Amino acid sequence: MRGLRALLWGLGGLLLAGCAAPAPEALAANDPYEATNRDVLALNQKLDDIFFRRTVRNYLALPEDLRTGVHNVLRNLALPTIFVNDVLQGQAKRASSSAARFVINSSIGIGGIFDPAASAGFAYHGEDFGQTLAVWGVGEGPFLMLPLLGPNNPRDTAGLAVDTFVIDPTNYIHFKQHLWWDAGRQYLNVLDLRSQTFETLEGIERSSVDYYASLRNLYRQSRDAEIRNGAPAKSGELPDF
Amino acid sequence: MIKPMPFARRAVLLAALVLPVIVQPALAADPAETFVAANIQKGLTLLNNKALSREQRQDQFEQFLLGLTDLKRIADFTLGQYRRSAPPGDVAAFEVAFQNYAVAVYQSYFSKYAGQTLKVTNSQARAATDYIVTTQLVDPSVKGPPLEVDFRVRTDGPRPVVVDVSVAGVWISLEQRDQFVAFLGQNNGNVKLLISHLSDLAKQFK
Repeated sequence: MRGLRALLWGLGGLLLAGCAAPAPEALAANDPYEATNRDVLALNQKLDDIFFRRTVRNYLALPEDLRTGVHNVLRNLALPTIFVNDVLQGQAKRASSSAARFVINSSIGIGGIFDPAASAGFAYHGEDFGQTLAVWGVGEGPFLMLPLLGPNNPRDTAGLAVDTFVIDPTNYIHFKQHLWWDAGRQYLNVLDLRSQTFETLEGIERSSVDYYASLRNLYRQSRDAEIRNGAPAKSGELPDF
Repeated sequence: MIKPMPFARRAVLLAALVLPVIVQPALAADPAETFVAANIQKGLTLLNNKALSREQRQDQFEQFLLGLTDLKRIADFTLGQYRRSAPPGDVAAFEVAFQNYAVAVYQSYFSKYAGQTLKVTNSQARAATDYIVTTQLVDPSVKGPPLEVDFRVRTDGPRPVVVDVSVAGVWISLEQRDQFVAFLGQNNGNVKLLISHLSDLAKQFK
């Protein structure tokens, strides 16, 4: 309890620190809360050291087939949410692919452990409500570094909340242990994502002169690419050399 | 009175006029596309060449990178607004430090893709001498979809040069510019400090 109180005080302090006038560079980078965001990144790195880094190393020592199975099950559980967002974006072909993946992998793929749908021509694609909002014309807003969740922005944070609490159909299945189910699933999601990106992030941190700015840029560029569904950026969006 | 042209002759004439327009783009790849197709695979093969010692591979990759890219232009771009305000001596020293950093880091980065096959799939012209060439990197040992890699190529010099590379939608020079500008913003625009950091990083990767 004392630890939780200290964490809340820490977060409160970080928020107050963000009230200081932002630097011109921060405003130019659409990052008015840069000072607070940098503090949150430092906090996240400490939390990562305590709760995840060692666990991820141990997790990576497990057989690859086992980790792939966990990864596949988690992605399969996300497919109904992806399907709804495909529909909301008017992407009929991608929606039918998500539906087909869910049916094939949940049955022939034994609850999503295996991925026979990919071999049948239904490759995985991600989609979320943050991307749906972007397709509907909602701007991303200023950059945010969220405690535990990492790089984000107001649009994607709202999208994550809608995906998690409104769209995800497991919310509507009532059973006694729901809280444990949610907590376990989210922990596995973070562990899986962290293990998938472990080497890449270590490499970025090692080769960066400013790790925070690097994460900010990588988050924005990769989100833009996801929103475009992999289509190339419009030539006018790139700066001149 | 002009006699109406028979249908068969009209069809042949129409085909003669339209077909070259349809066929031509497929036949004539732009110079940037040809340049990427001819050169990038060489680099991937070089990184996978087990017959070379580590030092030989490093040297050859450096020569390959210097011949393929315009690192001075990229270095100037990554300084952002500080390019104009920094003393010319600092900018020149930064260009050298950036080159060493880029060679060391890119070699480490692109080694991951050694042994894979690059296929040019498309290209678009941003301007008369500014192209984006779209490629796919195919890893024969992985079942999943190929990796999308784009090259930004300028053809306004004596030879075409790569000025940026995008892997899965992320442009490397844009990411570096954000980093360097943020670093300089945090350190009163001190380019010498940035040079010192880049030199340290280059040593770590060599």
